[in-house]
Amino acid sequence: MTRRFVILVCCALLLAGACKGSEGEEAGAQGSTLQFGAALSLTGQLSREGILTKDGYEYCKQVVNEEGGVEVGDKTYDLDITYQDDKSTPDVAAQLVDQMNDDNVKFILGPYGSSSTEAASAVVERNGQLMISSAGADDTIYEKGYQNTFGVLSPASEYLATIVKAVSDIAQPKPKTVAILSADDGFSKTAAEGGAAQAEEEGMEVVATEFFAEGSTDVSAQLTKVKPLNPDLILGSVHLEEGVAIIKQSEELGINPAGGFGETVAPPTPDFIETLGPAAEYTLGSSQWTPETEGEDELFGTAEDYAEGFEAAFGDTPEYHNAEATAACLAMILAIEDAGSLEPEAVRESLANLDTESFFGPIKFDENGKNIYKPMQVIQIQDGKPVTVWPSAEGELKWPAPPFDER
Amino acid sequence: MAESAARSTRIPQPSSPAGWILVGLGAAGFAYLLYAPVLLLESFLRTLGGVFMFATLALAWNIIGGFAGYASFGNVVFFGLGGYTVATLMAKAGWTFWPALVVAGAVGVLFAVLMGLPILRLRGHYFAIATLSVAEGMREIVVNMPSLTGGGAGITIPAVGLEATTSYPGNTGFYYFFLILLLVALAVTWRVSRSRFGYSLRAIHQDEDSAAALGINTTRAKVAAFALSGLLTALTGAIYAFQQVTIYPNRLFSIEFTVLMVVMAVIGGTGTIFGPVVGAVGLQFLSEYLRQNYLELHTVLFGAIIILAVIFLPNGIVESARELRSTKRIRFLDNVKANRL
Amino acid sequence: MEQFLQATINGLLQGGLYALVGVGFSLVWGVIHVVNIAHGAFVILGAYVAWKLDGAFGIDPLLGLVVAAVLLFVIGYAVQRGVINLVINAPIWMTLLLTFGLELLLVNGLILIFTGDYRSIATSYASGGLSFGDVRIPYGRLLAFGLAVLLTGLLAMFMSRSKTGQAINATGMDRVTARLMGINARHIYALTFAISAALAGAAGTMVGIVGTFNPVDAGVFTLRSFVIAVLGGLGNMWGALAGGIVLGLVEAWSGQYLSGTLIHAIGFGVLILVLIVRPTGLLGRPYSEARAET
Repeated sequence: MTRRFVILVCCALLLAGACKGSEGEEAGAQGSTLQFGAALSLTGQLSREGILTKDGYEYCKQVVNEEGGVEVGDKTYDLDITYQDDKSTPDVAAQLVDQMNDDNVKFILGPYGSSSTEAASAVVERNGQLMISSAGADDTIYEKGYQNTFGVLSPASEYLATIVKAVSDIAQPKPKTVAILSADDGFSKTAAEGGAAQAEEEGMEVVATEFFAEGSTDVSAQLTKVKPLNPDLILGSVHLEEGVAIIKQSEELGINPAGGFGETVAPPTPDFIETLGPAAEYTLGSSQWTPETEGEDELFGTAEDYAEGFEAAFGDTPEYHNAEATAACLAMILAIEDAGSLEPEAVRESLANLDTESFFGPIKFDENGKNIYKPMQVIQIQDGKPVTVWPSAEGELKWPAPPFDER
Repeated sequence: MAESAARSTRIPQPSSPAGWILVGLGAAGFAYLLYAPVLLLESFLRTLGGVFMFATLALAWNIIGGFAGYASFGNVVFFGLGGYTVATLMAKAGWTFWPALVVAGAVGVLFAVLMGLPILRLRGHYFAIATLSVAEGMREIVVNMPSLTGGGAGITIPAVGLEATTSYPGNTGFYYFFLILLLVALAVTWRVSRSRFGYSLRAIHQDEDSAAALGINTTRAKVAAFALSGLLTALTGAIYAFQQVTIYPNRLFSIEFTVLMVVMAVIGGTGTIFGPVVGAVGLQFLSEYLRQNYLELHTVLFGAIIILAVIFLPNGIVESARELRSTKRIRFLDNVKANRL
Repeated sequence: MEQFLQATINGLLQGGLYALVGVGFSLVWGVIHVVNIAHGAFVILGAYVAWKLDGAFGIDPLLGLVVAAVLLFVIGYAVQRGVINLVINAPIWMTLLLTFGLELLLVNGLILIFTGDYRSIATSYASGGLSFGDVRIPYGRLLAFGLAVLLTGLLAMFMSRSKTGQAINATGMDRVTARLMGINARHIYALTFAISAALAGAAGTMVGIVGTFNPVDAGVFTLRSFVIAVLGGLGNMWGALAGGIVLGLVEAWSGQYLSGTLIHAIGFGVLILVLIVRPTGLLGRPYSEARAET
């Protein structure tokens, strides 16, 4: 009986292998359709952000096709994007990008998150594909010497540093001491280091840097440690859940820094305000993009136009995750049109030389493929809404923040 | 269980013309697997490599879980340790892959012995929970040693350019690595199942106290089984780490791997030689199919399939098919009849 | 000193909530012999029920807690009676896998229904607190702690005083004999599982009031439940309370005096140590040692 199973297994492999092989041969033809591929976290831990990213890509596709498609040389192509679910795991993302290569999909739009992007970038490099990352911010991705991965977003080291710059620039009185609370994943750590360096540059003293496990919803131990040091500003290098915990538990523990709180990533998301209510007020946050971002392009207009168009299409005001995804897609299209070719190598050349304004701000890459030319936006929660306060001001910075029980 | 396992250990004896045909087909299949990289797409080789990897993991679990009956829910700890040994040696100490692989295997064995001695005294759920805790705890330790392991940010094996100590084998290379490891794991399982050692393990599974009374050194047998399981798992983890290039503690010590090992072994048939392989092949292709066709629903479907499989196919595909041959039908409800309240 | 006091209070209060999360898990493991991997998913489900009731109908979360508990009770009863009872005598990995499949189903089902967004149940009373000098005792957490002690106490009394409770105990000790005595084991098992699920639902509501949750967090609650159940001794209600508090304190102190990223490692370290040195838990198991662990 056992023998039969060995053979069954072999036959299954043979069959599966055979049909896969024939499928691949057909997929080479592109016809009048230009194919992009994206491995996204549609299920699992990062599914929320994964789906926001997908919507951003979808909106790009929609607008591009409405405007007549992508012009390459004297041919016009319709844009199509295939999505696959990476289950929020980096190895699956890498495998999917490999599969896309076999289906002759050379242009890859990035997955969500630094880990998946890092895994995918290694494969992209090996296969001679081209990837524009929309949500892989960790600087280390771009410092591995890879030639074929570009990132439209400001790198992780800017996330916290931007808040420090803004506070130093416009807050009166300027805070003298800072405490940094950070999650322990790569992205958050890089951001925390960038923030600490910037604080020292601006003449502030970093009195404590405390780490907690990624995904913590209880940070009371770190807050209790920081409390007696009386920092003027508490900065969090965090994701949403940790960012919410810092504010919520500071309120519980009666921690009221003389200046206020600033956090990466968390404050601009609607959940932050919804979950915290009045406690969220006055919190500063950094964002890749807000509708006040300066710059415009032919496809999407200004940031405000983008917000309107996106809302008309999807019914929600866009979050920065949506915008960065659309921007990645836009950069790929601009580069392809500039190159006038669908050869990945030619498109890579034109990406390296890309220097343009867009609804997302400037898009231009340094020699590592990072978009260091785009400033991040600093927002503050005011009356239950994120208001851009720096570098271009939609509203005045409210400073210092009053204690929690007076809000 | 012991009886059925013993039956499955019979070596395929080509006693009839039909038998010869089967053996011939088997050989052809094997030759095909060796030759496959020439015929198949790169990414499909990667998928196949993944299938072989899980088959090896399930076989390794089967030695301690299926033969000895000790349901380890923390076998991923060996996988992670193997992976991190290779990554650390290659990234921090500039080693090449092959000596690092050997060390990874040794680490797996050593850790299995050290951990097995206290923990294999526990039985049933206690053993399951203890192994699970060791795996979770080990992940936290790796996270907390950033200077050595890169911490939560992960560690990258130098795989391109001048820094690469061993040139990256690519999809074809890893396909062969995983294939060879699977064949080794099959050979080991076959050998174990026919040895005195294997009979000791089955005796322990049946009734540990009686086994001890019969003069079997149960501690030694259990620890040896655990070490063997740890060795194969650590080697798999080591190859996997090199394939991934950048590894993260959350992934390398993910409970998902443990669960998949157990599910594959159980669905294929615990305590058999080919059961875990059948389970791994079936489940990997199924989950790949679901993922491609049900973009957002596939995890829910996968959960439902596990539930149904546990209720209706608890003896595994191999055992149920054997039953189908001898009685001409599968009695799905037998399990429920035997194990319900 | 104030820091130590604050850390101790944080740990104690957090520990009370852990106890409420873990007590049902311990009950099921002790009595039915099932390690319910889906326990954390029940906790999260309870949180969503209360959150939805609050958000959609403005029902106060404390009333929502009751609804969540009742709903989870019904679901729990059905799951045990309709599914788990079918394979209750199979090898342990079978029930482990079964509940793992259930967890996948629930967690990903919740993501499909409610998305993976982080949620929190907003109340007017959760964020304020009592102040003693620099030491603060937040009301929300105090409430969770009080409720945990109350529910655990009620459960312990129910188990020792009521006829049904004694039947559950008897079945946990020796099912065969219990059945001979005329106890309907199918019903008792389902009832036990239902109580466990109801407690998880109540715990989930409190989790939602004092913090944030999303479906993916389920695994964390299940893992903590392991620690709590083993620390306290399986099926020992007061033990679960003690286990929860010990875990809370160990986490708070190690977060305070060691690195914040080490707390989980220490939690699991304690668990392994207890398993090896004293597998019956801190307060011991209520059932006879003779019962074979299979």
